[in-house]
Amino acid sequence: MKKRQYKNPTGVSKYTGLLLISPFIAGFLLFTLYPFICSFILGMTNSRTVGQTEFIGFENYKTMFGSSSFRRALEVTLKYAIILVPLKLIVSLMTAVLLNLEIKGIGFFRTAFYIPSILGANLAVVIMWQYLFTAKGLINQFLELFGASPISWYGDPDAALYIIILLRLWEFGSTMIIFLAALRDIPRELYDAAKVDGCSCTRSFFSITLPQIKGVIFINLILQTISALQEFNAPYMITSGGPLKSTYTVGMLIYDEMFKYGEIGYANAVSWVLFTVIALAVGIMYLVTGRTERETT
Amino acid sequence: MKKLSVYLIITAVAAVMLYPLLWLLGASFKSNSEIFSSVWFIPDSIDLSIWKNAWETATPYTMGHYFINTFMIIIPKTVFAVISSLLAAYGFARFNFPLKRLFSSLLLIGMLMPAIVKIMPMFLFWRDTGLLDTYIPLVFPALLAEEGMFVFILIRFFNSVPREFDEAARIDGCGTMRTLFLVLLPCIKPAVTSIAVFTFLWTMNDFLNPLIIIQSVKKYPLSLALRLSVDSTGQSYEQCKIIAVSVIGLIPSITVFALAQKKFVKGITAGGLSG
Amino acid sequence: MKKIVSLFTAIFFTAVISACGKTKNEKITKPDGKLDKCTLRFSWWGGDDRHKATLEAIELWNTIHPEIEIIPEYGGWDGWTEKVSSQVSGGTEPDIMQINYDWLITLSPDGSGFYDLNELNSQLDLSCFDKDVLSFGEINGKLNAVTVSVTGRGLFYNADVYDNLGVKFPRTWDELIALGDTFRKKDLYPLDLDIQSGGTAWYLAIVYVQQLTGRDFISMDGELGFTADDIRIALDFYKEMENSGVIRNIQTRTDEDGNTALYQSPEFIGGKVAGVLEWGSSVGKYESVLPEGTLKAGPFLTSDGGNSSGWMIKPSMLYAVSKNTKYPDEAAAFMDFLLNNKECARILGTSRGIPASQSAEKSLEENGMLTGLAHESDSMLEQLDTVTISPYMELPQMKDFYNTAIEKVSYDLCDTKTAAEEMYDSVTEYLNKVKLRKH
Repeated sequence: MKKRQYKNPTGVSKYTGLLLISPFIAGFLLFTLYPFICSFILGMTNSRTVGQTEFIGFENYKTMFGSSSFRRALEVTLKYAIILVPLKLIVSLMTAVLLNLEIKGIGFFRTAFYIPSILGANLAVVIMWQYLFTAKGLINQFLELFGASPISWYGDPDAALYIIILLRLWEFGSTMIIFLAALRDIPRELYDAAKVDGCSCTRSFFSITLPQIKGVIFINLILQTISALQEFNAPYMITSGGPLKSTYTVGMLIYDEMFKYGEIGYANAVSWVLFTVIALAVGIMYLVTGRTERETT
Repeated sequence: MKKLSVYLIITAVAAVMLYPLLWLLGASFKSNSEIFSSVWFIPDSIDLSIWKNAWETATPYTMGHYFINTFMIIIPKTVFAVISSLLAAYGFARFNFPLKRLFSSLLLIGMLMPAIVKIMPMFLFWRDTGLLDTYIPLVFPALLAEEGMFVFILIRFFNSVPREFDEAARIDGCGTMRTLFLVLLPCIKPAVTSIAVFTFLWTMNDFLNPLIIIQSVKKYPLSLALRLSVDSTGQSYEQCKIIAVSVIGLIPSITVFALAQKKFVKGITAGGLSG
Repeated sequence: MKKIVSLFTAIFFTAVISACGKTKNEKITKPDGKLDKCTLRFSWWGGDDRHKATLEAIELWNTIHPEIEIIPEYGGWDGWTEKVSSQVSGGTEPDIMQINYDWLITLSPDGSGFYDLNELNSQLDLSCFDKDVLSFGEINGKLNAVTVSVTGRGLFYNADVYDNLGVKFPRTWDELIALGDTFRKKDLYPLDLDIQSGGTAWYLAIVYVQQLTGRDFISMDGELGFTADDIRIALDFYKEMENSGVIRNIQTRTDEDGNTALYQSPEFIGGKVAGVLEWGSSVGKYESVLPEGTLKAGPFLTSDGGNSSGWMIKPSMLYAVSKNTKYPDEAAAFMDFLLNNKECARILGTSRGIPASQSAEKSLEENGMLTGLAHESDSMLEQLDTVTISPYMELPQMKDFYNTAIEKVSYDLCDTKTAAEEMYDSVTEYLNKVKLRKH
């Protein structure tokens, strides 16, 4: 804690920092705060695509908490984030460590591993997933090979969420990049010293790599939690939220209300609830890891 | 032996990762029925005229025109995003100033809101400035570090650089800016590269913002041009052409990544850092 | 004090609402009866063939009216609704737009969202249209849009599969149900129905009940015609189709096809599923994945007594003029050209379906361009006593209600009676809410 209480170097005014972040502040006011306030106000109106807008107070919030489809979407979203985020962090960290090795042709492999996240919402991904997970898909053929009974991936409301989680797990590229950038900053001497001391690879991973990049792990945790709780695109492509709304996330609900049903007021109200949920989740993470905002930023 | 097993593992995984791309390439030569009935990527026959058609598009402009449009957005945007996030992160990480805690919490809060709520207010804002149907609404926000996440990431990387570096630079007579660009920037280059890559790729894929801001077909970026022929309500559906178009759209992203990944090479030593 | 606070709050909110809101010019430019030099924006969505044909038609217009320049704005269907509703909401929409049927309700609930075309009859010739067809675009007595083409869903079958089994295309509902057994023996299905964006499952169930009872599901002005019991009958009929093997149940269907459309599924391409219910204007996609000539139009199902009513039609798309346009006469003149001009009709062909304008249709006939499956199905439909689909029926939120009910019944989460009552309640409540905006 104390370490952070430093002074500006001599000759640096206390406004230098402010000057440096001034574009950010202007951007925040115009492109974040202004739409946020609009959104909050709109959330208290019955605004639609066209027609009169009336102030209706917390009516939208009342409707929302009484609505079973909202509660269901919230449950789905939370479940999705809780399963996906830890898995994704582990997978991308492991891959980053692997791709940080100095072997021939590693550049090619880095690119290859990043490609799924470039594909993102591409049609190829949708079709690929179908080859894998439909009734006679590759995964079920494998299962049968080992005598297991095939799984109804798309049609079973209990299974459908997992194929979306798998998709996002497969697209771990951007998390991996941030880890790679952090791994590169670890001084090589540390590993060399460990080798001299006879540490195994696993040992040096746990005693050197992890402590050195724990700040970045935390950042990735925050970023992934935010994006998982805002998830919209993957279920939209892969399952359209079905079957029986088992993959219908709050992000999809907001999009549908805003653009499909034209309920702009309600969509903004839901966005604020989602915002609160994300803020709570991130807040808890800060508390649990014992970090204050000041320390990370 | 160990190396061999590493190769085996990553080759196997890479195959899984790359297969969709190969399949896409193959599918761009396939007929509709062949596409959906076979998981194997090699087409029955190869007909390059599909690619020629895809490049020419149904509009008066070729794909090349849309590539240029996209670069006119993406290049300034990437440069702006990198510079503005770098400055803001530098300010947060290295200086004390009034209201710092407030601003750093704002930074985090800004990242928590679903971006979709911004679309309508910003659309109306740009309408009132009379700048709809120009690239300014798509590029200008980057100049003001709109993407808080980048600042957030960079701050963390700045923090990992020892403060002694700054002090040494000062003693050598470097000012605030020279310290940043000559001393600190080289240390966090991988992080800066990843931000540039993210901006590039996300802008490349961004569909909804240009869709709502840009009106003239002449000014369409690639992401809009790619979906010009996709009409699920219509009569015909030439899947291979749509796929060919989307492969064309992937080329810049893959190239940029393949070039940028070199910046993530391990092996810089602590001694090297201070240089 | 309390009063002052509440007054202050009220003023504050009004101020912010108008700042975040869509204050725009409410003045409507009156037609002046002559064509001035100007530029007009015209927007549409579509695929390549439509883009090419329309651009060519605009070129032709430029040779006739060089003083009125048309700026085309076009793209694919994905996101087009979002784009146009943002534009309308912000008052920046193009002068002339190709619009979807349900946008009439969402973008012009009271009929004042688009220019009243009745005022523009000096430039826009509406005599080539049936009165019925014109009424599709009318809201509260104002002509908001003109129908470009009319379409209806018909049944199309994979003839190879039917021939191999030695069965004929079904003519009555009973024959359809009876097919289930024959097909089941070979692990095939005679038909496919979905609960995706098309929602053909509920569509066919409505046709069945409409034919049975003579009542329309939803009237043109948004009154629910079905009783809760009618909805139950529809759901029962759906469940019967599943049970008798006419269609796959939702779980099997989703397991086999995932989220893709039927024309992209190996089951349809490979002939395991041998029939589809589709708009005449979109059947080309299904035709092209099967060997040439395999997909054939089947008869519209009737009751045993030959009652063929209950099948439905709707405008596949319409043209509307922005109420914010500064050049209403010129916009109307261009719209007239698109709809009625014979040379333009020849260029556009059937890229927007078979034209509703008699003048344009005649031009296509003279040029021998009225052929194919779509035309075949449309002309069969013309012989029937059809019901017009209410734009309210097509609202996305309504589709969600239908599909939820069908899904529940298919997954056996509740009996058809409960599902019907739930759907009846949500549909009634929603329709009431939407209709309030009419005034």
